[in-house]
Amino acid sequence: MTVTKLFERELGEYFEDIWKCIRCGFCNSVCPTSNTSQSYLASLTSRGRIILLQAYFQDLLSKSLDHEKIQELMEYCFGCRRCLEVCPPGVRIPNLIWRVKKLNRRQGFLKKIIFTNFGRMEKLFSNFPSLSNLFLHSYIGKTLLEATIGVSKNIDFPSFNRSLEKWINNKRKPANYRGRLAYFIDVFTNYHEVALGREVVELVEKLGYLVTAPPQKEAGTLLLEEGLIDEAYKVAKENVESLYESVRNGAKIITSSPAAYLALKKDYPELLGDTKSRIVSENTLDIIELLLKEYENGVIDFDNVLENQLVYHHSCFTKASGLTKNIKHILESSGYRLKEIDKCCGIGGIWGLNKKHYNLSIEIGSNLFNELNRISLPVASQSETCRIQIKNNTLVEVKHPLLFVKNRLKIDKSRLSSFT
Amino acid sequence: MTSYFSRITGRDVEFFEKLLGGKNVSIEEEELVANAVDAYPGGFYKPEIVLWPTSSEEVSEILKYSYEKRIPVYPKGGSTGLTGTVPIYGGVLLSLTKMNKIVNIYEEDMQVTVQPGIIYDRLNKELEKYGLFFPPDPSSGSWCTIGGMVASNSSGLKAVKYGTTREYVLGLEVVLPEGRIIRLGTRTFKYSTGFDLLKMMIGSQGTLGVFTEITLRLRNLPEYYQTALAFFPSVESAVKTVYQIVRRGLDVAAVEFMDEKMMKAVAEYRKIDLPESKAMLLIETHGTRLAASETMEKCIRIFEENNAVDIRVARDAEERERFWAARKGAYPATLRLGKYMLISDIVVPLSKLYDAVQKSYELGEEYGIHSSTIGHFGDGNLHVHWSAGNNKDKIEDLHKANDKLTKWTIEIGGSISGEHGIGTEKKKFVKEQFREAFDLMLKIKKSIDPRCVLSPGVIFDLEEVLS
Repeated sequence: MTVTKLFERELGEYFEDIWKCIRCGFCNSVCPTSNTSQSYLASLTSRGRIILLQAYFQDLLSKSLDHEKIQELMEYCFGCRRCLEVCPPGVRIPNLIWRVKKLNRRQGFLKKIIFTNFGRMEKLFSNFPSLSNLFLHSYIGKTLLEATIGVSKNIDFPSFNRSLEKWINNKRKPANYRGRLAYFIDVFTNYHEVALGREVVELVEKLGYLVTAPPQKEAGTLLLEEGLIDEAYKVAKENVESLYESVRNGAKIITSSPAAYLALKKDYPELLGDTKSRIVSENTLDIIELLLKEYENGVIDFDNVLENQLVYHHSCFTKASGLTKNIKHILESSGYRLKEIDKCCGIGGIWGLNKKHYNLSIEIGSNLFNELNRISLPVASQSETCRIQIKNNTLVEVKHPLLFVKNRLKIDKSRLSSFT
Repeated sequence: MTSYFSRITGRDVEFFEKLLGGKNVSIEEEELVANAVDAYPGGFYKPEIVLWPTSSEEVSEILKYSYEKRIPVYPKGGSTGLTGTVPIYGGVLLSLTKMNKIVNIYEEDMQVTVQPGIIYDRLNKELEKYGLFFPPDPSSGSWCTIGGMVASNSSGLKAVKYGTTREYVLGLEVVLPEGRIIRLGTRTFKYSTGFDLLKMMIGSQGTLGVFTEITLRLRNLPEYYQTALAFFPSVESAVKTVYQIVRRGLDVAAVEFMDEKMMKAVAEYRKIDLPESKAMLLIETHGTRLAASETMEKCIRIFEENNAVDIRVARDAEERERFWAARKGAYPATLRLGKYMLISDIVVPLSKLYDAVQKSYELGEEYGIHSSTIGHFGDGNLHVHWSAGNNKDKIEDLHKANDKLTKWTIEIGGSISGEHGIGTEKKKFVKEQFREAFDLMLKIKKSIDPRCVLSPGVIFDLEEVLS
C-alpha cells in the first residue's frame, strides 16, 4: 500500500470532506489564525490547509502529510469550530485536521505521555494542592512545564484545588428530590475552578435535584486537538459507559463547561458512532439550559429591579455548541443589558498556552482585550480557558454566566412539589 | 508557447527579496500550492513565486522587472473568484492582500479611497460608523477584496437597486504592465472628458493593469428595511410578478427568485417548512419607514394579482434574517447534493426569464443531471445550479449543459456573465458574445500589454495576444 493510500485510510470518512471544499474562503473569514499579521501567507489559513490536502491527494505536493512543515501548518487550526458555522458544503474542517495531525510521527514521546495522562496527572496534583501550586508557580515548575509540554512561562496557570468530584460524592445527599443529575465536570472545573462547580451543585440542589459525580475522565478535547484520536476514543468510550449507566438509572447529565457539553453532545457520538453515546448526548444539558427550562416552567424567576450592563463574550465553543441563544436569554431575563463581543480570545483550548503560539495567541486576542478594557464592564464568558486568557490580559472582571444570574434568582418553592 | 515566458531564476528571487524584503517573497512549495487555485473548480496552476508588495511603487518595480524579463504576473486578491483566474503560465502571483488600508474616508463627499486588498465586509464595517456603505454585496463579501471586485465588476443580491461595482468606482490608480503608474477618473460623479478609460479597466480581471488605489462613491445606509417572501403556483406567475414590479417602477432593493427544486433542497438543508409551490420570490425594500412600507404594500398587491399561494412579511430583524437564510441556503443546499456541481452566471432580458428557466430544465433532463435555479431576477441574472451528485462520470455533462445554456443566452441577446467574470472558464464564449467587438478588446489588450505578461491566459488566449 502506498503512503498516500495509507493516509487516505487513516482519514477515514473525513477523506471525502477534502473534496467537498469549494475553496470559497468563508472559513478564513471566521478562523482566528487566518486573520493575523502572518496570515497573508495563504498556507497559514484555513482554506490554505484544505487546498494543501487537495493537492497532496492529487500528487501535486511533494511533501508528505507527515512532513514537519506540513504538520506545523496544520497546528494553526486549534479546533475553535467557527468554520463549521459558515462552510457552505459543510466540510468538517477541525475533525479532518485532527486526523491529519494524527499522522504526525514526530509527536514528542513525553508530550504524548503527558497529554494521554493529563486527567490522571491533574487528579494526582489536586490531591496535594498546596505543594502542587508551589511547584506550578515556581520558576522550576514553569521551566519544566515549558520543556515538557511547551506551556509558555508567561502563563499564569490557575491554582489547583481539591477535587470537586470528591466533594460532590462526599456531600450529604437530600432525602427527597425531583430528579437526578449526573455532573460531567471536566478537568478545569474539577481541579481548578472548583468554586464554580460548587455553585452549580448548590443551585441545582436548591431546585430539588440530587447531584452525583459518576466516575469520569477528562472530556478529551485536548486529545482531539493534538491529533491523539485513538486516545480520545478511549476516553470517550470510558466516559460514555459510565454516563450511560447514570442515564439508565434515570439521571440527566449536566455540564457547566462548553468543552464538556460539546464532547457529550457532538464529539463522542461522532467518534464512537454507537447507540450509547447517542443516548448520552440526548440526555445531556448544560446548567444554563436547565435554568432556562425551570424559568419557562415558572419554577424560577428573577429580580428585574437592578438593570446592569454586562459584556457577553461569545466563546468559540459556546458558539459551536449552540448554547449562545440560551445564555443570552437567561442573562437578559435576569435584568442584564448585554453588550455582545464576538471576538476570539486566542487561547484555543491550550493552543495559546504553548510557547510556540503564545505571541500569536495574544495578537489574536488583542482586539478583544482592548475593547474589554475600553468598555470596562464585567464580562460573562462560558468558556473556562477564555476566562483565563481574559483574566491574564485585561483589567476586567470575568465570570461564568451562571455567577451573574444566581443572586438574582428566586425559586418558587410551591412549584417544587413534585418530588419523586 | 510556455517557453515564451522566462522561468523564475535565483537572480529574480534575489531581486524581489531586495525590493520587498524576504518576508514578502515566497518560493516555498506549500505557499505556491496554496495559491494555485481560486474558487473555480478547475485544476491547480502553481505560480513560481508569490510576492506581497506594500506600495504602488513596489508594484510598479515588480511589473517593470517582469515586463522586461517576460515573466508572467497574476494579480490576486482574496482568491474567491469563480472563473479560474489562476497562474496557468506560472510566474509571479502578485498578492495584494498586504495593501489593505483605507487611505481616506471623505464623509461629506460620501466617498472612500482604499488600497485594493481590503476585504469587502471589513470596509463596510468601518463605513458603518459614518452611516455609509458600499452596496454591491457579493456572496463572497466576507473574504473577497475590493480590488478583486473591481477587477471582475462583481455584484450580488441588491444590484437591482444599487447596481454593480462599476457604478461606484470613481477613480483608480493603475500600474500598467510595463510599470507606469497612471490615475484614471476623478473624485466627481460626472465628467465629460473623452474616452472613459476608467470603465474599461473595470472587469478586466487583471489583464490590463494592477489596481493599487481605488476611490469609491458610497451610499447612505438605509433607514428602514422591509422583507417579504411570496410563493407562487408557477414559475410563470413569479416571473410575471417580477416584470410587473420592475415595469411599475417600484423601488425594490432585492428581487430574488428560487424555483421548486431549489426550495426543496433548501428546506431540507435548513430544516424549514416552505409552502407547496413552484417558485418563491424574496423582495426587499429600503428607504425611509414610510417609503419602504408603501413600496412593499404595492409589491404585495402584485403578489396577490398573480395568485401567490402564500405571502410572509418579516415582522422583525430576526425574521428578516431567517428569510435571507432561506435564500442564502441555496448554494450550500446544492453542495450537499454532491461534490460535482457547476453554477451558471447568465443574464437575460427580463422578457426571457421564464424561457431561461425552462431551458435549464430541458437541459437538465437532456443530460440527466440535477438543475435548479436561483436568480437576481430584478436584473435578469440567473444562477442555474447544475449538480451531478457524486457521479464523476457526469462531470462532462455538467459542462455540456452549461455550455448549451450559455450559447442559448448569447442567441437571445443575453450576457454570458453577470457578476463572476470571464477568467479562463468562459474564454471560449467571449468571442461568440462580442464577435467583431472582441477584436477591438484584443487590440486594446495588445496595445497596453503587447508582451502579454499580465494574467496571460485570462479572458484572452496567449496565442491571440501575441499573434
